[in-house]
Amino acid sequence: MPEIRVENLTKKFKDVVAVDDLTFSFPEGQVTCLLGPSGCGKTTLLRMIAGLEPPTSGSINFGKIDLTQLATRKRNIGMVFQYPVVYRGISVYKNIELPLLRRKIPEKERRQRIEEVLELLNLQDQATKDSSQLDNVSRQKVSVARAISYRPDIILFDEPMTNIDANSKVQFSHFFKELSKKLNQVIVYVTHDQTEAMTLADQIALMEDGRIVQCNEPRTLYNEPEEVFGGWFLGNPGMNFVDARCEQTAGNDLLISSFLKSPLSISTHGLDREVTIGIRPEHIKVSETIFSNAVSAKVKRKSITVGGQFLFVFEVDEVEVKAKVSHPSNELMTAPSVWVEFPVERIVLFNQNQKRVHADLTYVRK
Amino acid sequence: MDTVVEFKGVAKQYGNLPVLEDINLSVGQDDFMVIYGLPSSGKTVLLRLLMGLEDPDAGDIILRGENVHHMPPKIRNIGYVPQDFALIPHKTIYENIAYPLRLMKKSTLEIKPVVERAASMLSIEALLDKLPTQLSGGQKQRVAVARGIVKETQIYLFDDPLAGLDFKLREKLIDDLRRLQEDLTVCFIYASSDPIESLTLAARIAVLHEKTIREIGDPQSIYLHPHHLSTIDILGFPRANLLDGRVFRKASEIWCQTNFLEFPIAMDAEASAFENPLDVTVAVRPESIQKAFDRDGKSLTADIYLREDLGAEEIIYLNIQDSSLTMVNSSSQNGHYDVGDQISICMNTASIFVFEKETGIRIGRGVDNFNA
Repeated sequence: MPEIRVENLTKKFKDVVAVDDLTFSFPEGQVTCLLGPSGCGKTTLLRMIAGLEPPTSGSINFGKIDLTQLATRKRNIGMVFQYPVVYRGISVYKNIELPLLRRKIPEKERRQRIEEVLELLNLQDQATKDSSQLDNVSRQKVSVARAISYRPDIILFDEPMTNIDANSKVQFSHFFKELSKKLNQVIVYVTHDQTEAMTLADQIALMEDGRIVQCNEPRTLYNEPEEVFGGWFLGNPGMNFVDARCEQTAGNDLLISSFLKSPLSISTHGLDREVTIGIRPEHIKVSETIFSNAVSAKVKRKSITVGGQFLFVFEVDEVEVKAKVSHPSNELMTAPSVWVEFPVERIVLFNQNQKRVHADLTYVRK
Repeated sequence: MDTVVEFKGVAKQYGNLPVLEDINLSVGQDDFMVIYGLPSSGKTVLLRLLMGLEDPDAGDIILRGENVHHMPPKIRNIGYVPQDFALIPHKTIYENIAYPLRLMKKSTLEIKPVVERAASMLSIEALLDKLPTQLSGGQKQRVAVARGIVKETQIYLFDDPLAGLDFKLREKLIDDLRRLQEDLTVCFIYASSDPIESLTLAARIAVLHEKTIREIGDPQSIYLHPHHLSTIDILGFPRANLLDGRVFRKASEIWCQTNFLEFPIAMDAEASAFENPLDVTVAVRPESIQKAFDRDGKSLTADIYLREDLGAEEIIYLNIQDSSLTMVNSSSQNGHYDVGDQISICMNTASIFVFEKETGIRIGRGVDNFNA
């Protein structure tokens, strides 16, 4: 199966390393989202695949073809940018025809391909319209049509929803999901918006400082961050991080923290002495009455957040933690201090180098 | 709490275009007042009127007990943080922060400790010798906030300072701003177009919609008990579902009907008399819609148009009998459904609010425990 494979790919702009010795594969028939904060290197990586930016070192292959030195026009790539590339003053049909004319595709086949694409994108009714009459979503759809009409092997999307308002984003996302199911090319989609990535991707490659930190299908990426960065970057707010201590004993190693009622036994050995506990705000259990394994916490403040949930900020030993609570009781809303538990199955452990440690945690039986 | 800022019947128009009408607002000395409204709803104009950069066409603005009509901006003594940083490119960060004090002709000796204190409050001490071009977006915004708070005053205005910054940065700066206001114990008037930012920061929110302030209150009470349609319409993420409906008498009860719902309502005390039937707008928050397990046969069937994954929550856009509905599911169990699937939904009518269509004023809500 043809895939895009980049090996030891590096791009430097003077002293700044934008993409750092990256080795990675983009599979065919899947949407791979490059997600990360601004300056993480995602757009540079995309531009190198497109041939718009020459790599400093390393290689880019599509199946058996070496693309590294190949000119953009010889790469058979379709690209959709932040701004729709649509010519005003000519019809939607003509707009889609232009890239085919440039490739000298004979008239009969041209017509057939345009009909195909119009149907695929549900644009049949718009074909004869002048493209200046289109709204933003339809214009971006026409850009997509132009990018796929000549049957590229690879389709690249560079933040295509940047200039689409919040309401129309829902429309474009719906369109993209429907379309991507029908395409079997390599699709690479760059975004800084985690919701967009989580919603549209088959797999997300999370980037930071020129490298891919982790690549998984969206739910795994969210639930199982391999580094502190992933836990922090995904989620609103991101994961809570609290310091913990790892103590070696004769039997098994113990995890100790003021957020844990009693020490937890750790299934693996050799952890750093100082480790970090990560837990997502929606995974913390909160109650106004005491329950097993809960510790007492002081409520600092609470506010309404997404979907009318309450975001509680509370404190244990001067460390603040955020928890999301749906439908809190009146008693919980007025309690000055509450009981909180980090359920062991929800705790994610990180070593001092901010990398995840996979370990089973259990309460030590007294 | 002493009032430091008061708008009384203030109106402003540009040419024939009214931007603000009958603005009434009073803000206390250690209040954190968020003026919340959609983009281009007049928030900036309201702040500019207070600073004296624009004159109102009608009404009065009272600042620290004094009517400021014709008072020049420079003696109003108000701190200001604009939306677009507006840093001076060829001056160091130190000089950028010191700028408002230089304008006030303060001596270098007076300026130094004030700049250093502001820099330390925003953790940007290390940046003071740099130029704006060497800073990231978040750092620039911190500098803009530091510059906004160097003036010795009790009133600070913020014009949507986090709009345009990326998501993770906003999360951090929201925490910083809230802490800053607590430390300074002064009056913050903060324009925002982000509902969650507003609900997180504000001690009180003024909902500015369609040229006027529709409702003022603490975040929790106006979110949970909105009295104006504008509040439930725009204050919340995702935005509430609005449906056309009508209210009519049915025997001794009062009922409300939309194209797919019919339920009895409890009228608000002050709204007991009404024309029969009355055109209304029915508002349902996305979190008030749940997946149904279809035990009593009262659930509705809807088609999934899109499912957005926020990590902790999912927003599901539904089509139901020619209407679109948005629901949000915050249980940690995410669904295994996708575009094109069908699901059953239900809603507790007690969480449905009914507003008079013409005025937007609330007239009642669904009665409890009647599953529509």
